[in-house]
Amino acid sequence: MCAWKSNQPRQNSALLPRANAAKAGLSAFLLMIFCALCAQTQVAAGQSFEELTAQAAAARDQQNLPLAINLYSRAEQLKPDWQEGWWYLTLLQYSTNQFPGAIDAASHLLELAPHAVPAMALRGLSEFEVADYNASLRDLETAVDHGAANDSHNEQVIRYHLALDLCRAGRFQDALDQYKLLADNGFSSPEMLAGLGLAGMHLTSFPAEVAESDRGLYVAAGTAGSAFLAGSSQKADSLFQQLFTDHPSTARLHLFYGLLLFRHDPMLAADQFRLEVGVAPNSETALELLAYALVIAGDYQDALPAAQKAYAVAPDEETVQVALGRALGETGDLDRGIKMLEKVIAGDPDDLEAHIGLAALYGRAGRREDAYRERMLCLKIAP
Amino acid sequence: MSACSVSRSRPSLARIIGLLAVFATLGLVWGASSAVSAKQEKKAEAVTCATCHAGVANSYLHAPMRHAMEPAEANPMLLQHTSLTTQLNGYTYSLQTREGKTTYTVSDASGSVSFPIHWVLGQHSQTYLLEKDGSFYETLVTYFPRDNVLAVTPGDQDLRPKSLHEAMGRKLSNWEVLGCFDCHSSGAVSGTHLNLDKIKLGIDCEHCHAGAQQHMADAVDDNFKTIPKSLKRMSTGDISNFCGQCHRTWETTVRNHWRGPAFVRFQPYRLQNSKCFAADDSRISCLACHNPHEPLNHDQAFYDKKCLACHAQMKVVSASHPSTTLPVAKTCPVAKDNCSTCHMPKVEIGGNHARFTDHQIRIVRPGESYPD
Repeated sequence: MCAWKSNQPRQNSALLPRANAAKAGLSAFLLMIFCALCAQTQVAAGQSFEELTAQAAAARDQQNLPLAINLYSRAEQLKPDWQEGWWYLTLLQYSTNQFPGAIDAASHLLELAPHAVPAMALRGLSEFEVADYNASLRDLETAVDHGAANDSHNEQVIRYHLALDLCRAGRFQDALDQYKLLADNGFSSPEMLAGLGLAGMHLTSFPAEVAESDRGLYVAAGTAGSAFLAGSSQKADSLFQQLFTDHPSTARLHLFYGLLLFRHDPMLAADQFRLEVGVAPNSETALELLAYALVIAGDYQDALPAAQKAYAVAPDEETVQVALGRALGETGDLDRGIKMLEKVIAGDPDDLEAHIGLAALYGRAGRREDAYRERMLCLKIAP
Repeated sequence: MSACSVSRSRPSLARIIGLLAVFATLGLVWGASSAVSAKQEKKAEAVTCATCHAGVANSYLHAPMRHAMEPAEANPMLLQHTSLTTQLNGYTYSLQTREGKTTYTVSDASGSVSFPIHWVLGQHSQTYLLEKDGSFYETLVTYFPRDNVLAVTPGDQDLRPKSLHEAMGRKLSNWEVLGCFDCHSSGAVSGTHLNLDKIKLGIDCEHCHAGAQQHMADAVDDNFKTIPKSLKRMSTGDISNFCGQCHRTWETTVRNHWRGPAFVRFQPYRLQNSKCFAADDSRISCLACHNPHEPLNHDQAFYDKKCLACHAQMKVVSASHPSTTLPVAKTCPVAKDNCSTCHMPKVEIGGNHARFTDHQIRIVRPGESYPD
């Protein structure tokens, strides 16, 4: 899955034509940043250390990477707080697929320089390669938060792997957010499209792990999703409709489209979730999203039976409790609705949607001061 | 209040046809647009909302919502102000109107770009939509009638265009375009699709009164079982959400974390931030002060009455239930009139070329910043 490697074809090689160029650019870019970081590092070097570092730099310049790694390792044995050496060990070992070594070197560097964002990004990418997806997610997410993906050289590789990690962790919406940022810059790699399709369909698999026979479906779903994320809603709608025609009984396709629509038009999203329930009647996710979307859209009459069904299969799900509480209250059962939302807030005082619901229901119940207090609380909770 | 829901007397077909002749003469042929059977549609073609609801239909012709989008060719503002120019971020913007056609031009030292104006959003302050290569752009300048100037479009003040193309306008996402046309016109938006062939400029009856087309088709057959839902019977909270579909609801604004004076334009949101807002009290509903079928009332005394409906010194009796006494709020120790001038202060927006009434009703302390 490594997008920077050129000497080892991997299953996700569809990413490589663009990513190889990105790899070269990224390496150079990260190198430039790190050199700048280390420019002021004072190394109290002994003769042998200086010799080693000079030889390591020469080996690196000559593309003799195994020798360079060896020399940098020996230099670090002499001077373990030499940040530049750890950086080159990270970069060179990552570039030669020696991922455990790259992780170890990056970890040494991050102990010395906790804010070395490029090292954190490379460690995250290396952790991905050794299938330590939780650690990879933690590092890549932190690195992106600190600007690791701000440069176009890095963005595609880092965001794509972060999206895969997020997907593996079941954080599908966050994964879609990463694909949205990628879509804004335009991408057409089948690998990424498949990744987007899988995330949208709430599947934790990586593109490399899916059966070849299913690959076309995920790429097609990702293509439709990409069009949507890039802002072409009409084109996306046509592509999704074609998908629904071609795969009428495939679960999660309507779910994907509904999730995309939700932010823009909850009612259109609800239509898709309803169709998803038709394809997969026992899908907890679809039932939950249908109820929630109908509540957000303000269609409480339809939301009530949907929320009751969702509650029957997922009574502990907070979103379902909020949907049912609001729907109950808005359709006349104010007491039960208010009690249900108050219970949600007792367990999660910062649940914005529960507070919004309570503000509405208190208002309906004529509890003006309570309603006002809830509205003001919402303004505080909403960042 | 409702153009299409106050149909208690059931006019016969003959009366409808008779009225039609009158209103066709007046040119009041506007109505609704939902799908009904072809047969009914043919019958209904001869009927408009104005056929039966003449008073409200006539009044609505002058209401701001009816003019939420204006035809550029007949836009009074553009026809009156045929040459408007301003400088912004190193670019020169101009609107030139000749023989009913308006051209928008942006220029700098390197050259200029020009576009015909087709889509005019707003009746007073006006922003324009441009079309280029299948995409829509919002002009970076807006016309503000108070100062009779072109100035930066609200929301675009932080944009720093680096080329003529960028200076021309802000490219809108498909969803923004759908939003523009959905709230400024009728019939053009269907789900994710924009169909400009079906557009009717401004907000027509069906836009608010869903089912009006079916109602008209059935009314021709003396069938009054499909009267659109009465909006008058909605609670104050529901009315706020209904109007908020375009004017933005409190919930939508909170969920989207929209903050700052620019959002003072979202009246339902600001109103519900008021301590005195009560979802079950019609005295504080949007419709208590505003009749959507009429032009905006600028008479302070008119609004004073609305405030005093709650802030009275004596018992307030419900108009609909005379035996019910409504809650009374505190009276103002400072004044008994011009309430809104103090308690609903104006907020400057649009580069200080326009002022908007803050609907967050409150006691305003000296030096207090905009409550957000």
